[in-house]
Amino acid sequence: MMKSRRLALRALAATGAAAFLGSCATNAPQDTWQPKGPNAKMIDDLQQPVFAVAGIIGIIVAAAVGFAIWRYKDRGQPIPEQTHGKPALEITLTVIPALILAVVGVFTFRVIFDLARTDDTQLVINVTGQQWWWEYDYPVQNEWGITQPIISSGQLVMPVGTKVLLRETSRDVIHSYWIPALNGKRDAVPGRVHTLRLEADAPGIYAGQCTEFCGLSHANMRMEAVALSNEDFAKWVAGQQAAYQPPAEGTLAKEGESVFLNQCVRCHQVEGLKRADGTLAIAAPDENVWSGAAPNLTKLMSRNTFAGAMFNLLRDACRDDVWRADSAEFGAKYLAGVDETCLNVNDLRAWLRNAPEVKPMYANPALLADTNGKYRGMPNLGLSESDIDKLVAYLLTLK
Amino acid sequence: MFKVGSKLFLGLSGFASFNLVAYIIFVERLAIGGVALSMVLAALVGLTAIVMLINEGDSESQPRDNALTGASLWPLMTVVGLMLLVLGLVVAQIYFVLGIVVVLAALAEWLVQAWSESASDDPAHNESARQRLLHPIEFPVIATLGLGVVIFSFSRVMLAISKSAGAVVFMVVASLVLLAGSWFALRPALKGALVSAICVVGAVGIVAGGIAGAGVGLRTDLAEAAEEGHYLHRECGVEKSKYFDKKAMKTLSLRSNVTAIIELRNGRLSAVMVGFGEPQQRVTASRANPVTFIFRNFDEAERRMVASLGSAMAAGAAAPETTEGDSHAEKNETCTQLIPQGAEQALTVKYDKPSVAQDAPLTLTVPGVAGQAIEVFVP
Repeated sequence: MMKSRRLALRALAATGAAAFLGSCATNAPQDTWQPKGPNAKMIDDLQQPVFAVAGIIGIIVAAAVGFAIWRYKDRGQPIPEQTHGKPALEITLTVIPALILAVVGVFTFRVIFDLARTDDTQLVINVTGQQWWWEYDYPVQNEWGITQPIISSGQLVMPVGTKVLLRETSRDVIHSYWIPALNGKRDAVPGRVHTLRLEADAPGIYAGQCTEFCGLSHANMRMEAVALSNEDFAKWVAGQQAAYQPPAEGTLAKEGESVFLNQCVRCHQVEGLKRADGTLAIAAPDENVWSGAAPNLTKLMSRNTFAGAMFNLLRDACRDDVWRADSAEFGAKYLAGVDETCLNVNDLRAWLRNAPEVKPMYANPALLADTNGKYRGMPNLGLSESDIDKLVAYLLTLK
Repeated sequence: MFKVGSKLFLGLSGFASFNLVAYIIFVERLAIGGVALSMVLAALVGLTAIVMLINEGDSESQPRDNALTGASLWPLMTVVGLMLLVLGLVVAQIYFVLGIVVVLAALAEWLVQAWSESASDDPAHNESARQRLLHPIEFPVIATLGLGVVIFSFSRVMLAISKSAGAVVFMVVASLVLLAGSWFALRPALKGALVSAICVVGAVGIVAGGIAGAGVGLRTDLAEAAEEGHYLHRECGVEKSKYFDKKAMKTLSLRSNVTAIIELRNGRLSAVMVGFGEPQQRVTASRANPVTFIFRNFDEAERRMVASLGSAMAAGAAAPETTEGDSHAEKNETCTQLIPQGAEQALTVKYDKPSVAQDAPLTLTVPGVAGQAIEVFVP
């Protein structure tokens, strides 16, 4: 008896220690208790006292139940007097929780309405979810130097200290956008435009994840918000709007451009890319992909991630260098993008070699009857190693 | 050990197992259908076990009196249902669904009949027990089906004859129904057979009229409208369209979460979008994704909004999609109905190709309002 009780106590202590140590993790980029912007702070300021009050009440209730169990357990004593109802006590026990909930409700409603504000927006970004990646398009906003729309994916780039409004929608099923450090969740629903405010206090990268189950690779549908200083954001905007620079003739990258035109452009758009006859290469994801879209790769190497932010474009050391850079250096390091020395070539080659093998997707050509022959995800293109070499060289030029 | 009930459930379990295996092999392993068939199989195995465990409710084996059992159509109907199920797996889903309905109905009738026939030694009591159990289900179902046939037949008559004749026929039929109903109500002593006969004659008359009407087909104006697609055909000009603009909707239930609200005010067109402080002249629309615009007309004249769908739409294999299955893609435009001052309508458009693939900018315009256009940019 004593032995089993000792074992139970040890197990309880171990579980408590594990939970305590788990809360001390330093590398927890999706920690909801570490707000990095005013919107997330509003939520945090609400949930901290609510959590404290709820915790205290929970402890009191648990202690009372424990005491009652211990104090009044059957020891052979006579059954106490049985009474029906105690109005004063019942009213008290109803009014107190009602008051607590009313007070919590007042503050909650205030936060809900504050988080729903759109009239103070400084920058608008359209966000479209699809299986299993996010597309970002920046409508023309001359005050930010955006004179032509910018299309990107994987990483949402925004200026620091700015009230950014995401206009979210979806192309296929319901997704949910969530960057815990910057705000709560908001569903992206097909046919509807929902809004979500984001604002970051300091430059840096803030990780997030789709939080509405959306199919096979839901767990791999990630996102990162990159906050840059206003000057760095202006540089990023200028870089995104820069004209396409074709690779030099006779280079491996030029051969990669041909491979891209033969294979990838069926779904992936690169703005400014032209075919051999001089006509613009227009991707046709609407004819090949179930959602009707595939990531725009125009400035791929200005991003740090690919394949729905599941994989890093940077090697671990280079990525750590960017993630851990202090505020003053972060912008320059991020804007440096990806070069040959920092490219995570292993993951990129694996992706190009056989994408469905490294990320679960509905991309088996034999099983597309339900989607009219269209893919949900990137199929295995059957590229040769030589073609992969050329493509990697070409993709490195998309900066 | 194995009696009638356990044999039935064992057979059904075997049939469900076969279906499950066939589904997994020939259709898809991880589909919801496999889960559903597994659940059916589990339920049937459970029922088999219960039936065998309780020895089919008999405390001791009783010899069956064959004189108490009558002929039954339900085994035959069950087989017909099973054939429809199998046919449906190969041909079309509707047969599969019909097969499920027929199998379930026939099995229910069969099981209740089999149970009632062994309820007692009195055939009259057994029949009464069957009726008590099934009539509350049978009568509403048969009445629903009968009414459905009568209503469908009557609709064929109304679609075949002219509008004016239709009004007369409707009044005459309605008056006859009212008169007959009043007569039945005032004369409760009327014989049931007479009432039944009058109802049957009326129903047969309507069904016969319906068959005749279906034979004649739609009246001329409806046939022409259907043939020329008048009700689907969107005429997007300044003038009022005879068919498309008929009974234009003037208000919406959908008011929020749209891509943009396009307002026509004092002859000027502007786009109001959440997040943008000022009205815009340019809207970004997500590619290959249905986007919804609301058009609000504040001008005195009746106006409509027209969305150009671009040249690449016509060249592309996929036809543009709109809210109401528009078949007017050949014009590369779609539009709202003509709406008066203060009214609003929604228009859902899907742009499959980007703006760079177009010969001319994609726009939202209002016929009759010159020099005003909202540019739609599709990345």
